[in-house]
Amino acid sequence: MDGVHDLGGMHGFGPVVLPGGEAVFHEPWEARVFALHVLAGIEGLGARPGGRATRELMDPARYLAASYYERWLWSVEQLLLRKGTIAPGEVEGMMERLAGGQPPPRRRDPGQAARALDRLREVDPLRPATQARFEVGARVRVRRMHPPGHTRCPRYARGAAGVVEHLRGADELPDVAAYRKGAPVEPVYTVAFRSEELWGAGEEPAWTVRLDLWESYLEEAS
Amino acid sequence: MSDSHGHHRPRPESEPALRAAALEALLVEKGLVSSDAIDAIVELYERDVGPQNGAKVVARAWTDPAFRERLLADATAAVDELGFGGAEADTLVAVPNTPTVHNVVVCTLCSCYPWAVLGLPPTWYKSPPYRARMVAEPRAVLREFGLELPAEAEVRVWDSSAEVRYLVVPVRPAGTDGWTEDALAALVTRDSMIGTAVPAAPGPAS
Repeated sequence: MDGVHDLGGMHGFGPVVLPGGEAVFHEPWEARVFALHVLAGIEGLGARPGGRATRELMDPARYLAASYYERWLWSVEQLLLRKGTIAPGEVEGMMERLAGGQPPPRRRDPGQAARALDRLREVDPLRPATQARFEVGARVRVRRMHPPGHTRCPRYARGAAGVVEHLRGADELPDVAAYRKGAPVEPVYTVAFRSEELWGAGEEPAWTVRLDLWESYLEEAS
Repeated sequence: MSDSHGHHRPRPESEPALRAAALEALLVEKGLVSSDAIDAIVELYERDVGPQNGAKVVARAWTDPAFRERLLADATAAVDELGFGGAEADTLVAVPNTPTVHNVVVCTLCSCYPWAVLGLPPTWYKSPPYRARMVAEPRAVLREFGLELPAEAEVRVWDSSAEVRYLVVPVRPAGTDGWTEDALAALVTRDSMIGTAVPAAPGPAS
C-alpha cells in the first residue's frame, strides 16, 4: 500500500544524526516487546498479515508520531487480536490490574525458550530460482502500480528503468503472502538504478541505488 | 537492559510501558508465553548477537583472501563457517568497498537489517529521516555522520526491499600490516558495516 511507511525520497524529516540515535532500545519494555513479537511469530500466536504489513495499517499520523517499538507494540497486539489469542478489552483489563499493584505473573518453560533460540539461529535462505524471465544485464522497468495492500515495491522506483545485476533466488510474492498461504513463488532480482533516473539531476554527484524486486514488479524496458 | 526479575520490576510508568507489561502478563497468564523465553530472546541480542560478529567476519576477510572470496561469493555460507548464521541474515550478501566504490545500506520501507551479523539496528537506522533521505541524498546524509567521500567515488545505496540482507565490507585501513585478526576486528565499527562510516586508520604508535 502507498502508506506513510514508504519513506524513500520524502522531504521534511530533518537531520538523521540526533541525540539518543545510537541506542537500540531506550527503555526495558522495548526489548520485551521486541522479544514478545518475535516469540508470537515463532509460536504462531498471531494471524496474518504479519508485523511488517500490519504496521503499514497504522493511522499515518500515529505511525510517524510513534516510536519504533510503540509501532511494534501496536502490531503485535493487532496480530493477537486478529487470531483471537486475546480478546478486545483484555489488555486494558490487565493494565488496570498491574496499575493496581498486582505483581506480573511469571511462567517458566525452558522448552519454549530453547525452541525460540533454535529458530533464531536457523538459516532459511531463498529458494533457487528456476525459469527466470530476465537475464543479468537486462534492462527492466518497474511497473506502474498503486496496490491497496501490502507490497515491497517502493513508490520511488515505480516507472524507473534499471539494469538487472543479480538473480538472488526465488521467494513468495509478499503482496499475496501477507494475506494467505500458497502465494506464487517468483524470482527476486537486484536491479541497479542511476540516481538521475529516480530523482532527476541534483546537487550531488550521481550515485546508484539497488533494489531487490520480485519479477512481477518488473517489465522489459524498451 | 534485560530484566529477568519480574517480581522486583518497578511499576511501569509510561502508557506503552504499562501496555507492554500487560500484554506480556496476559500471554503468560494464558500459558502461551514463558517469561524465560522472552528473557532468552532479549539476552541473545544483548549478549551474543551484535556487531562484534560482523567485525570478526570483516577481520577474517581482511586477513584470509580465500575467506574473502567465499564471503563475496556466498556470504550466508561464509558467516556460517564462523557460527554466525541466523534470523534476518538468511540470504546474506557482502558488498565490498574499494577506493572508488562506497556501499551503504538502508531499508526505506521498514527496518530490514542483518541481525545475525550486526545485531538489532540503532534508532537512527529505523528513523524516518534516514529511510527517506539515504536513497535521495546519500552524500548529505553521510556528511552528517562525518563521512566526506571523494567526489569521484561511486556511492552505491542498497535498499533492502526483499529478504536479502547486506553487509558492507569496508576497506582495510592503511598502517595495519601484520595486525592480528582480533586487533583488526576492534577497528571495525557497526557503522562501517552499514556504510555510514569507514574504519579509522590507527594513529601513530606512541
